[in-house]
Amino acid sequence: MARAALRRTGIYFVIGLLSVFCVVPFAWVVLASVDKTAGLYLELPSLTIENFRRFFSDPTTPRLLFNSLLISGGATLLALVLALFGGYALSRFKFFGRRTLMFTILLVRVVPATATIVPLYIMMIRLHLNNSYTGLILVEAAYQLPLVLWLMKGFFDSIPVELEEASWIDGCSRLGGAVRIVFPLSRPGLGAAALFTFINVWGDFLTPLVLLQSAEKYPISIGMFRAFSAHNQVDWGLLTATAVLYMVPTVLLYLFARRYLLKATFTGALKG
Amino acid sequence: MVLGLLGPSLVLIALFVVGPVGYAIWLSLTNKTLTGFGAQTPEFIGLENYRRLLTSADFLHSMGRTGEFIFFSAIVGQFLLGMLAAVLLTKSTVRAKGLFGGAILLPMVVPEVVASLAWASMLAPGQLGTVNRTLDAVGVTPLAWLQEHPMASLIVINTWRGIAFAMIMFQAAIEGISDDLIEAAHIDGAGARKVFRYITLPLIRGPIFLFLLLTTITTASVFGLIYFLTRGGPGGQTQVTSIYIYEHSFAFFQLGLGSAASVIMLVVVLVLGLTYVRLARVEV
Repeated sequence: MARAALRRTGIYFVIGLLSVFCVVPFAWVVLASVDKTAGLYLELPSLTIENFRRFFSDPTTPRLLFNSLLISGGATLLALVLALFGGYALSRFKFFGRRTLMFTILLVRVVPATATIVPLYIMMIRLHLNNSYTGLILVEAAYQLPLVLWLMKGFFDSIPVELEEASWIDGCSRLGGAVRIVFPLSRPGLGAAALFTFINVWGDFLTPLVLLQSAEKYPISIGMFRAFSAHNQVDWGLLTATAVLYMVPTVLLYLFARRYLLKATFTGALKG
Repeated sequence: MVLGLLGPSLVLIALFVVGPVGYAIWLSLTNKTLTGFGAQTPEFIGLENYRRLLTSADFLHSMGRTGEFIFFSAIVGQFLLGMLAAVLLTKSTVRAKGLFGGAILLPMVVPEVVASLAWASMLAPGQLGTVNRTLDAVGVTPLAWLQEHPMASLIVINTWRGIAFAMIMFQAAIEGISDDLIEAAHIDGAGARKVFRYITLPLIRGPIFLFLLLTTITTASVFGLIYFLTRGGPGGQTQVTSIYIYEHSFAFFQLGLGSAASVIMLVVVLVLGLTYVRLARVEV
């Protein structure tokens, strides 16, 4: 019995240590964000919410938040609307080359953004979409589409065709049946796909770094990077407050929809 | 009908993902630059960029560093710690699995920039940096980690960020093993270690291999974490291929050369990706 108890303690010790290792780096970010005299080092804060107030009253930082919301929201909306129809086609029509197309879409997912960013940059200049929200939103949506198409196809597969067939008999067109019967039923799946897409675009760093040049269009990721790179004059309180505001949405979403989001992460990664 | 529904998605993907791949191949055969003569009238120079890259110590080093980064952070670090977490969290006697699992998940879900910032403080030089303060307790003198051991630091950080990915893949695989099998082994007198070695491990070989492929692909394209913390420095010590591409294209304006490096990276990743798609036998 004593051995079993010792063993259990050992297990908790190891898993506890691993958990602490994963969480500890965030301690400074959170504590410094509520510290009146925040610095680069972990220390007990003299509590204040001044850093957050400054985030919203600062001339530049609220703009970052707005840009991030606009870019992530726009790309999510675009990718979802396109994938709604595309996913429906992949799920309901047995056309020639469908299997190959599905695999190709999956393969497109592994194309690293770093490997296409140079040609993309030149293309965007040619298309006069460089340094614009529109250009960035189009690119971000295109990056997310392969996965969202796969997700949506999966959701539609789980909705019985019989439901639509009934609507066709009642005089609905194919598309009418999809819009009236299938799309509403796939709302939970749609929600999960939307959250997932939003989080991915929200966290992106490389694409906005290359495609945007004017500071008033920067999302939070680039704004934080610029602030951090201003050596010797970093406003740690403001920077960590920004970081907290930046990570809170993703952490909250994972807290409440962990199962769905993780399922989305591994779509196409595992069998079944 | 199909074309109307699927068309817009395919156009967007073709234009902004597949198109740039093709364009990268074309650019890599030219002397395109961002400024100067090569900017307006790039000339076709055949495989010259590739010849230059493959004889350039800088580029070959960047490939070596990428290999080192992938091997130690993804294949060794994430694999071992992820497996450890998965094994412990699939034990029926362990409680509060959600809490431990959630803690381990945190590094993976936060934005790249926040993760980087957090480690900037962890690894801060001097006696007050969190890691230095911790190691001081066991008698290690304070170090300027990102200057003195930049690659090792990044390997630790990338391991930290990817434990959850490995854990979740292995957890699912281990939970898929039938309890009868484990129980039978226990009855035959096998201890926990033997069960893991002779039953669990062989049965989850497939998922392990898939994880190794996937993590290699994702780790090869890590950019933000490294750029934020070291920008490839000091002295090029952390210049992995993704940083090399960025620097040569946008700091030195050699777009043709940068594209050639991109194509080399793409070929490697796509070969791994094809292997993956074939082996994963994902159902369509």
